[in-house]
Amino acid sequence: MIRSLYLLYGAVVMAVLSVAQYQGWSLARMNEVKNVPRSIRDNPGAYRSIYSSYHHYTGGK
Amino acid sequence: MSTGPTPPTKPQVKALNCPGCGAALTVRSFGNAVTIVCDSCHSILDAKHPNLQILQRFKVATDEVRPLIPLGTRGKIRGTDYAVIGFQRRTIHVDGLPYSWHEYVLFNPYKGFRYLTEYNGHWNDVSILKALPEVHSYGITPTVRYLGETYRHFQTAQAGTSFVLGEFPWQVRVGESAVVADYVSPPRVLSSEQTGNEVTWSMGEYIAGNDVWKAFRLPGSPPDAVGVYENQPSPMGAQTKAIWVAFAGFLLLLVVMMIGFDIIATNKQVFTGSYRYDSNQRGEASFVTDEFDLPGHTSNVEVKTTTDVNNRWIYLNYALINEDTGKAWDFGREVSYYHGYDSDGSWTEGGQNDSVAVPSVPAGRYYLRVEPEGDPGYGVTYYTVTVKRDVPQYSLYGLALLALLIPAVLLTWRTLSFEHLRWAESDHPPIKWGNDE
Repeated sequence: MIRSLYLLYGAVVMAVLSVAQYQGWSLARMNEVKNVPRSIRDNPGAYRSIYSSYHHYTGGK
Repeated sequence: MSTGPTPPTKPQVKALNCPGCGAALTVRSFGNAVTIVCDSCHSILDAKHPNLQILQRFKVATDEVRPLIPLGTRGKIRGTDYAVIGFQRRTIHVDGLPYSWHEYVLFNPYKGFRYLTEYNGHWNDVSILKALPEVHSYGITPTVRYLGETYRHFQTAQAGTSFVLGEFPWQVRVGESAVVADYVSPPRVLSSEQTGNEVTWSMGEYIAGNDVWKAFRLPGSPPDAVGVYENQPSPMGAQTKAIWVAFAGFLLLLVVMMIGFDIIATNKQVFTGSYRYDSNQRGEASFVTDEFDLPGHTSNVEVKTTTDVNNRWIYLNYALINEDTGKAWDFGREVSYYHGYDSDGSWTEGGQNDSVAVPSVPAGRYYLRVEPEGDPGYGVTYYTVTVKRDVPQYSLYGLALLALLIPAVLLTWRTLSFEHLRWAESDHPPIKWGNDE
């Protein structure tokens, strides 16, 4: 019973992995934005990235 | 315990009276019982004596135990009909604490005697061995071999008989004791009982209480099994091995998939550009790259940043924008590289390069909007941006491996916990880490 469940679970994991590899899934954090105006090409500064307020690491050991 | 029935032509029941109290005795194994115990006055009688001579009388404590399977009950064990004819309670003392179990004597006029034992709801179907096992007493845990199977020593103790009822194929006495040693190979247990120079070996096989109830058509349900018994089969034992075999199969499949996707992945460079960022320069730092095509099916896009940062950082706000649809993937990447020397020696942190995969980007015409940031005073940083299409993501294989591993590890942990509980009750308890006292 447990073996059958595990085989089913493993098959699902492999199937999801196949789809993920084919579709190019990634673990990276992204923000999807729709309808970015074409004017960005002429005025790149008009675009406001949500990551622009990122706290930068200025350390070292 | 002993065997050796004298099969009559058909099962007999003979009514007799106890010479001690005159109570009626029901004898179910006439000709085979050696002793009979009167239920009324608790006299142990010599069944071989014509007048049922009294061999012993014992007092019954107030906590007298009644058998869970009443004497005279008939049931089918391994396809053979047996009647319950005797019952005894036996007790061992471990670390000053008494542990009692119950033994039921079963009788079939053609097959002879058989026994059922019960301890805390755990049952064993027991029969006497007709051949001697091979004892290996060397090593940390002594073992015995019987019919090609190895049994590990579990416990040796002095067992005393504290209560008897019914008929027995040996000279039973309350107060008699024997040295009992158990060797286990779940679901079986080999037991040796030594009284003086006489040693009797028997084999028990674990049987579920429900099966006992079904075999003897007993009303209600059996008492719940408490704890883990010495030869109780692990509910996960066989499954754990099967799961690891399946895991090995999936691991192989994972490697094959990795090779396969590596071969079919285009991993194609679609854009590269080198840039210069001066953090001292005022004005708009953001810019857009030339357009580039992302071919093929929906897949990822790897954006790799190569810099010359040295004991500083650069932050790049990226937006991968579809020229036609206006859809953008917005993300930021920090590249920082620090190094130095202190009392522990030389050290480094971070790196001069970074790469990130933008997930599931449909085919089309795209460009990058890039906005670099850096601390004023850093001066000029040179960096190169490279864009690749359809790049294999090995982290996904790691996640899949973890997903496959977790159930196998949990199951193994449960199996090991079960074995830990089993052997904690033995003469060979598992090593305890830390001090529990």
